[in-house]
Amino acid sequence: MHFFELAEPASLQEAIGLLGDSGGRPVAGGTAVMLMMKTGVFQPERLVSLRKIESQYSQIRLDSEGNLRLGAMTPLRRIERSADVAAVAPVVTAAMRRLSNVRVRNVATLGGHLAHGDPHLDLPPVLIALNASLVVASPSGERTMPVEDLFRGYLETALAPDELIAEVIVPANPDQRAAYLKHTTRSAEDWPALGIAVALTLNGGTVETARVAIGAATDTPRRLTSVETMLIGNPHNDAVLQTTGDATAGEAEVHSDARGSAAYKRELIRVFTARAIRQAVEGDRA
Amino acid sequence: MSGHRRTITFTLNGRDVAADIGVHQNLTEVLQESFGLFGARESCGQGLCGCCTVLVDGQAVTSCLSLAAFADGSTIDTIEGLADGDTLSPEQEAFIETGAFQCGYCTPGFILMTKQLLDENPEPSDEEIMHYLSGNLCRCGAYAEIVKAVRLAGQKRKA
Ligand SMILES: Cc1cc2nc3c(=O)[nH]c(=O)nc-3n(C[C@H](O)[C@H](O)[C@H](O)COP(=O)(O)OP(=O)(O)OC[C@H]3O[C@@H](n4cnc5c(N)ncnc54)[C@H](O)[C@@H]3O)c2cc1C
Ligand code: FES
Ligand code: FES
Repeated sequence: MHFFELAEPASLQEAIGLLGDSGGRPVAGGTAVMLMMKTGVFQPERLVSLRKIESQYSQIRLDSEGNLRLGAMTPLRRIERSADVAAVAPVVTAAMRRLSNVRVRNVATLGGHLAHGDPHLDLPPVLIALNASLVVASPSGERTMPVEDLFRGYLETALAPDELIAEVIVPANPDQRAAYLKHTTRSAEDWPALGIAVALTLNGGTVETARVAIGAATDTPRRLTSVETMLIGNPHNDAVLQTTGDATAGEAEVHSDARGSAAYKRELIRVFTARAIRQAVEGDRA
Repeated sequence: MSGHRRTITFTLNGRDVAADIGVHQNLTEVLQESFGLFGARESCGQGLCGCCTVLVDGQAVTSCLSLAAFADGSTIDTIEGLADGDTLSPEQEAFIETGAFQCGYCTPGFILMTKQLLDENPEPSDEEIMHYLSGNLCRCGAYAEIVKAVRLAGQKRKA
């Protein structure tokens, strides 16, 4: 690997001061950064480690409204094993099971997972469906941004070079049912060929609210708003599910990659949209 | 504070140690070059196979994707530290008794993952064992014996 310097500031503010014009690039768990440095696609002169910043950024808590607040430096494995996460967002707990392997989850952080901007990751569609938001810290203070607005292109995010994700907020919604389906084409815990997340609320037999998001098939994780529109106000019977699946065909520009051709992925989206909706409806608040 | 080299100190298999490292070096390299420990070895180099598994502060990590600099101040356990003198650990005994390897290249990683699994969950089901070890690859295909070894190790640890 190339030579670089490593700074290990003790606070988030200090870390921010070392980014941007000062030339530093953040590193958290380092799993993605190390892969990119090993292959030479990323050759920073100076890394700014977030591992020694205040411990509040690696904590999981519920705020006074019952919303889940996850510090950006929280390792994925701790999120997987958190009772608070399982209570507020069981779909996140379930998604962890097949996200990479135990060793990576022990080290990889939620902030690094999101800021990486790789469309092939599992949690972006899940958090978009749950309408989660980010607290982003910069030299001029903090701003809040929906997770949905973070992704701009392949490995490209809406974060400025001197901005850091500080926290992720998952709103409490006890009536919501959600599901995440991951389809892999190599091994069970591989990066997905398609990831699709659905979160909805029901009123009797009718869908009241719905958010549907996909990852791994498009250049950024994104919502399928046409599917959401077709669902809302309608019963969730087989006929409706069939048409919603068919409606996905035109909505998003689907890309081929090593895990499947565009044509194959379009077919996956068609089939898995209906499956994910069915699982969300039938699961007990999964 | 910065620079391309630095000295790190940590506890390695129960001993306090120091090493002069390049900031760009990963933990597998430093364990091999500075300490002559070759139990953790780089195979895929991408986090997929588990041949480079070590325990950092009691947690299994992929040492080929860990900067050695991050090990400063931590406690690291490798396969070389598992036996107590000539007495093998229950996990090591179980792998030998069930014949859970052929070439042995993947074995240190599987044994350390087994230890961590049993620390977390002393009586895992076969399904839990397979899921937990899904990030470790054995090119010789000793998987069936490895699952038996984990079960046996669980029994030995309770005895
Ligand atoms: C073997 C392997 C298998 C994997 N399989 C899967 C899988 O099946 N599914 C899946 O979803 N993912 C998978 N991954 C990807 C993994 O989820 C990511 O590598 C990980 O989540 C990144 O987190 P990190 O803390 O290590 O990030 P880092 O590598 O530290 O950082 C990643 C990026 O985010 C930036 N960054 C880090 N923290 C912040 C912050 N707080 N604010 C702003 N920017 C920040 C860094 O500068 C860098 O650009 C796999 C990874 C490996 C190595
Ligand atoms: S060599 Fe590190 S995981 Fe394969
Ligand atoms: S025993 Fe040869 S790779 Fe596992």
